[in-house]
Amino acid sequence: MNPRLTASERMIRLLAVIPWVVEQQGAPLDEIVARFDYPRSQLVEDLTGVVFFVGVHPFTPDSMIEVDISDDEVQIRYADWFSRPLRLTPGEGARLLTAGHSLIGGDFATGDEGDEAASPLLRALTKLGMALGEAADQAVEVRLGHAPTETLPPLRSALNRGEKIDIEYYTYGRDELTRRIVEPLRIFSDNGNWYLHAWCHRATDERIFRVDRIRSVRLTGESVEHQASDSGGSFTPHGDDPRVRLRLHPDAAWVTEQYPTESVETDSQGRFVVTMAVSAAGWLERLMLRLGPKGEIVSVDPPLSAGLVSNAANRVLERYR
Amino acid sequence: MDKLERLLNLTAALLDADRVLSADELRRRIGGYPEAKASFRRTFERDKEDLRKMGIPLRVENVPGADPPVDGYRILRSEYAGRDLRLEPDELAALHLATSIVRLDGGETGLHKLGGTTSGAIDATEVGHVPFDENLAALIAAAADRQAVGFTYAGIERAVEPWRLSFSRGHWYLSGWDRVREDQRLYRVDRVSGPIELLDNATQPVGTPTDPSSLRGWELGDETPTTVRVAVDPDQAAYLQHLIGEDSTQHDETTVVTFEVRNREGFRSFILTFLEHAEVLDPPEAREDIVSWLEALT
Repeated sequence: MNPRLTASERMIRLLAVIPWVVEQQGAPLDEIVARFDYPRSQLVEDLTGVVFFVGVHPFTPDSMIEVDISDDEVQIRYADWFSRPLRLTPGEGARLLTAGHSLIGGDFATGDEGDEAASPLLRALTKLGMALGEAADQAVEVRLGHAPTETLPPLRSALNRGEKIDIEYYTYGRDELTRRIVEPLRIFSDNGNWYLHAWCHRATDERIFRVDRIRSVRLTGESVEHQASDSGGSFTPHGDDPRVRLRLHPDAAWVTEQYPTESVETDSQGRFVVTMAVSAAGWLERLMLRLGPKGEIVSVDPPLSAGLVSNAANRVLERYR
Repeated sequence: MDKLERLLNLTAALLDADRVLSADELRRRIGGYPEAKASFRRTFERDKEDLRKMGIPLRVENVPGADPPVDGYRILRSEYAGRDLRLEPDELAALHLATSIVRLDGGETGLHKLGGTTSGAIDATEVGHVPFDENLAALIAAAADRQAVGFTYAGIERAVEPWRLSFSRGHWYLSGWDRVREDQRLYRVDRVSGPIELLDNATQPVGTPTDPSSLRGWELGDETPTTVRVAVDPDQAAYLQHLIGEDSTQHDETTVVTFEVRNREGFRSFILTFLEHAEVLDPPEAREDIVSWLEALT
């Protein structure tokens, strides 16, 4: 909860609190605090010290709002100007619609329960849509990730039931397929991909797995033994990963959009000089093969094996000889 | 006088007025403003800006009969209050849960205006983060309300009737009708230069929006289509099939996948991500393209 609200934040809340309390014909202080995320002492101060003095010219008693708090019950009367809540702004409506539509769709199914038809969320979105416009139902679509339909449901189901799973996982950076027993701790989406945060028995540590690289999932029927640590398996490059400096042709700007960069500079010829963390050599090999003449390694710190790019090119060429 | 009290009195006065009020009339009616003319002006300008930021529809019209012209202000009640959504408690709670589970960058959701959150703060684990900004909000609002919009894209002024905003693979896309090109187009929202200008009502019926996740790098081009066959190692085959959503044939140890290529560069970039686990079989030109590309890197 916000310890200190700005004047605008207090005003936005009051313009919602006043019509709500008026319509309820009075409401307990604590319910207002919870509903409107309004710190209690601030609310009391604002109702008795501010709203009580609000009105219109000539500010005679009959032209002012009446506020009464007794036994922690709030009564507001004669707030005619604020009897209806302020409309949603287009931005607020768009945000609500987007958040709601993010949760609609197959990615949240576990296969364990019935369908979501007639869910409160769908009803809410229909009502919201009517206020936003005739085409609101179709206006937003959110895919939090792209995972095979046969992978996410068993993962969600295992997570809900606290069950260990046996997965085949493709490590993109090292280009290897491994089998591991893992204990699901959390499933989350970042930047359009689904991730599984799990305790991994192979690594004997917490690991983050990209769900679309999990090639198979088998439920084991065994209960999990580990809980998530406080760190929550944060998703950041390791501090000791090597850093690469690349010089990129202007056409290769997609690299800066697709991968996290630590710095991007532009040189006098319009080329980008970027610094990025290298989680594994295989990742850098692929990137350089795709870039071809449009990318060049300036330096790697600490150095990776010399001839990294030409070795990779030769390995692929072997297949063609 | 407290700033909050002044802003509430200003809003009440503007809602109460049955005609536009000048700044001087408002100063006399409300009190709490500085006496000196210059500092009153500054404070009043800031207050107006604050009200607009909150979404309060402040109207500015000339005061009737004033010569020289004087700005007058009021708020129409019909514009101030929104449609009453009449959300049931479980519907409001579901929206609240959605905003807690999915984090959108910046900005208010307006849940307070709909009656607050029945359960107070809820203990829900955030599962996703979706980038969001004011340009995107404006485009969504326009698509919902069937309004045409103007913006700059790739340095060119566009007039577009937005159909759908789609978040896919980490990016927002706008699918809609381009009025100048008279054709359906797909835009990356992060490359739209704002501000988004609202034009008039959309006139074209809403078509089938382009699904950005269906776009493949090797299909986005105007080259003569070539059928390219690729052999893939067995452990990569399922992943590849998931990516391209197509059938393949099994040949002993390898899987053979067929691509319709209309963009050679996009195809090369895609197939090289498989390193030595994929091999272009035919036609010979496609094979040669990969070989010469790689040889230049050795």
